[in-house]
Amino acid sequence: MATVDHQCERHPTDGHAHSGVSPGGRVCPVHSPKAEESKRAHKGLGRHRDYIKISVPEGKTIRLPMEWWKTFLAFFYAAFNLVLTTVMITVVHERVPAKETSPPLPDKFFDYIDRVKWAFTVTEVNGMVLVGIWCTQMVFHRYRSIVGRRFFFLMGTLYMYRCVTMYITTLPVPGMHMTCAPKLYGDSQAKLQRVLQLISGAGLSITGSHMMCGDFLYSGHTVMLTLTYLFIKEYSPRSFWWYHLLCWLMAATGVVCILVAHEHYSVDVVVAYFITSRLFYWYHTMANVQAVKCSPSSYLTHTWWNPIFNFLERNVQNQVPCSFCWPVTWPPACLKNPCKNYSMVQSVREE
Amino acid sequence: MKKAGQWSKEQVSLWLAEEGMQEYVEPLQQADGQALLRLSQADFQKPPLSRISPDSGKQLLEKIKTLNIEHHIEAHKNGFANGHVVISHEGDAGASSKTKRNGLVNGFHKELVRIPIPEPAGPQFPTEWGKTGVAFLYAICCFVFTSIMISIVHERVPPKEATPPLPDKFFDLFDRVEWAFSVCEINGMILVILWIIQWSLMKHKSIVGRRFLFIVGTLYLYRCITMYITTLPVPGMHFKCSPKLYGDWESQMRRGMKMLAGGGLTITGSHNLCGDYLYSGHTVMLTLTYLFMKEYSPRRFWCYHWGCGLLCAVGIFCILLAHDHYTIDVVIAYFITTRLFWWYHTMANQPDLKRPSRTNFISRVWWYRFFQYLEQNVKDVVPRSYQMPISWRSLQSGHVKYSRIDSD
Repeated sequence: MATVDHQCERHPTDGHAHSGVSPGGRVCPVHSPKAEESKRAHKGLGRHRDYIKISVPEGKTIRLPMEWWKTFLAFFYAAFNLVLTTVMITVVHERVPAKETSPPLPDKFFDYIDRVKWAFTVTEVNGMVLVGIWCTQMVFHRYRSIVGRRFFFLMGTLYMYRCVTMYITTLPVPGMHMTCAPKLYGDSQAKLQRVLQLISGAGLSITGSHMMCGDFLYSGHTVMLTLTYLFIKEYSPRSFWWYHLLCWLMAATGVVCILVAHEHYSVDVVVAYFITSRLFYWYHTMANVQAVKCSPSSYLTHTWWNPIFNFLERNVQNQVPCSFCWPVTWPPACLKNPCKNYSMVQSVREE
Repeated sequence: MKKAGQWSKEQVSLWLAEEGMQEYVEPLQQADGQALLRLSQADFQKPPLSRISPDSGKQLLEKIKTLNIEHHIEAHKNGFANGHVVISHEGDAGASSKTKRNGLVNGFHKELVRIPIPEPAGPQFPTEWGKTGVAFLYAICCFVFTSIMISIVHERVPPKEATPPLPDKFFDLFDRVEWAFSVCEINGMILVILWIIQWSLMKHKSIVGRRFLFIVGTLYLYRCITMYITTLPVPGMHFKCSPKLYGDWESQMRRGMKMLAGGGLTITGSHNLCGDYLYSGHTVMLTLTYLFMKEYSPRRFWCYHWGCGLLCAVGIFCILLAHDHYTIDVVIAYFITTRLFWWYHTMANQPDLKRPSRTNFISRVWWYRFFQYLEQNVKDVVPRSYQMPISWRSLQSGHVKYSRIDSD
């Protein structure tokens, strides 16, 4: 009997420590699971001494805690960056040189392909459809809090980078067709109104809120198209190749139509695609490959957002599996008959 | 094997040889099994044994004692005398079926126990200069391509009167300083020279050289693309761009080659072509040499790291101060250089990431195959070890080559 108890005491900690250990054998200081879980197992044993705990090997349990509060923080981060972007667009708008004094820059794509008027509408429709599909997919995903967190963080960071690039150097308008709203020299009230109008219309021409110029490097439309496509592809079953192909076509068409409409320079689109895809791959490699998070020879942790990443992904130990479920369980819990309270079983389960 | 007591003289000699006591074979030629067993300390005091034996026969007597024990055990026919299981030996199928030896297994029953020694799977950091050569060619191609591209783009730069310099936040805050660009270029040259010296002193210079050449080549290739697709106007009215050569391909080629020969530096007089603004090549070289120098030098050389970091930072600041590039050019160049450097080195140092898999997003870059070709035989993190580029020993003539020691 004594030996059995001794073994029980040892196993929970072994089981818990195992998942936090990096392949090198060291325990990763940032990402080891909480010690409280092992303490709780010990407390349970203490109260019911007549129970013999049969230690079942942990196996590969999936540790993906929901942690909705982190998702909300990421959402606020994204919202903040979106607002910052709109403010920045308003500021930059004042500095755009007039198209008469600064004609559009020479662009290779514009040399080959002339402007098509309705192309930008195609882009925006594609963008709205992709965002709608992605939101639906995210809502039905079982681990929507984790996936949502990642999406908001990446979107926020990309828009923040965009603020920086837009602000430091202002490119002239890409085509003489662009009608920019008149400049408001120092009129803060009107500027604020513009900001609100831009936010409410999500910056789309269709809603009539895309009348400010200067936000060319880099293209926000490309960012949204690319990012939603990458997320849709990543978090859907692999066998849905037709679904992936369709979304890819929509994204690609949308991006090409931005250029066909002469709404952005080619370099804006290329840089936007590059930054979006690299950031997505970087983040997901760090999240999925355990060795990369902790190893000292991993340079992926040298980015400035590494502490934020650690905060968001600290307790996500495995790759998020692709599984879907109804967002709302039916029937609601209050209508169910409460189970009879089996006191002994219930209290053990609470541990 | 028969019992020791029944050995013939030949068998005694054979046994002595097997035990590594060949020196006793001659004096004990005439001894048979019984005589051997009867040898005592006294025999070793007299010649001829006293002459031969260095330890007055202690070792031989021990072995004879062991034989004696076996002899007695055999005589008493005790199955598991010492608790040892009876072992039947390989070569003696016929003879040993009846007489099984018990107890200590000694001497003649050669049980070969194979101790597997892990063989090192080849050198951990093979030099493979061929691959470095390929990377060198790649870098050269990218440089030539860049020069040609600058030459082409120069034709498309709008004249500064028609398209004034774009509004830039840094230019609003800081006015132009004339000598700043020379500072930048001098810093760049110092950093490149220091890096070349450091590289030549490295032990694994082929691997590190390969990495540097690949990364530099790729960055310049990306630069070609961004330069070409959209042409930014000159950042300042102080620029003197060479006149355009409309359609004169030969002169354009020559111009491109002149730029390549001068390294694209103003100091050498080869920086008179405009249009190569997005993104800044000077920033790329400064940042990349600094990153490599920091990465492949010992950790404790913090002075050296700080010095190089300062050179790099001052150089970049001076580019902007001289109004030679827009701020966006410098920021994008810094971003792409650092990301590519970290990306490459993470892939090279983590064996998990060298295999494409579903979770390995990092392997989805277009240059992944080339990377695998360059790095597949590098098994581990390249250590920061140094050696003289030319070893003194190879310079000395008549030097005897010790094959085992020298093949390092």
